[in-house]
Amino acid sequence: MGFFYIGDEAPAEVAHHGDDVVVLVAGGELDYAASPQIRDHLRSRIDAGMRRLVLDLSGTTFIDSTAIGVLVAAVMQLQELDGGSLAVVCAEENRRVLRIFEIAGVDSLIALHRTREEALAELAVAG
Amino acid sequence: MGAPIDQNATLVIGELRLPAQPAKLGLAREYAHQAATAFGLDVDRCHEFAFAVNEAVTNAIRHGSPDAHGHIHLSVRADGDRLTLAVRDYGTFSGYAPIAALGADRGRGFALMAHVMDAVQLCVGSGSTTVRLSKARV
Repeated sequence: MGFFYIGDEAPAEVAHHGDDVVVLVAGGELDYAASPQIRDHLRSRIDAGMRRLVLDLSGTTFIDSTAIGVLVAAVMQLQELDGGSLAVVCAEENRRVLRIFEIAGVDSLIALHRTREEALAELAVAG
Repeated sequence: MGAPIDQNATLVIGELRLPAQPAKLGLAREYAHQAATAFGLDVDRCHEFAFAVNEAVTNAIRHGSPDAHGHIHLSVRADGDRLTLAVRDYGTFSGYAPIAALGADRGRGFALMAHVMDAVQLCVGSGSTTVRLSKARV
């Protein structure tokens, strides 16, 4: 079976960006089997009051349309909640995953950043 | 020298009976990727091939039905420079309602498959649904 993980980055490292900011790290193969857990994890952070989410996909080797659908649903939910946002981090070298985002045509919905620092800086401007 | 090669020959490369479970999607991607690599598609095309197959198998698991043994069937053929992987499930279609459901549920997946493949063919039979995904060596 495909391997995947999702978890929170150490809160202390991102706390100074704001108390509604959380950095999540997901890796491995994000497919239909993994999507429910990705959805639940994002939802739990949103339910906990987080409004500015950074999802770091640097360790992701594959993503499918169901996982991208989960991200789009989270973006829409966040937008309804006082202009919250989700920023996705995917390094330039991760061409395979970037290509899938390109194919899916979700660039107008999901903000893609090359580095985590860039994503956090963008959130700071937006916040 | 051997016998002249029949340009129209179709070579069946392999078949895989895959348990219709989400946890087996990785196996389907690996199978597709290996077939594409062995056929000589370049790296980017191999990734696209595996991506499209993953979408088709996901649809079969989500919306189709497996055979009596709980499997969906994958088969790979080569026609000249074209590699085709067929994904078959055994959903029984009746009337137009499932066709309408195809549009709503499978629509996005099909659009993505069509975007990365050279050809996508959907065959809806009385007892099975087959999606054929084709990509050529450049």
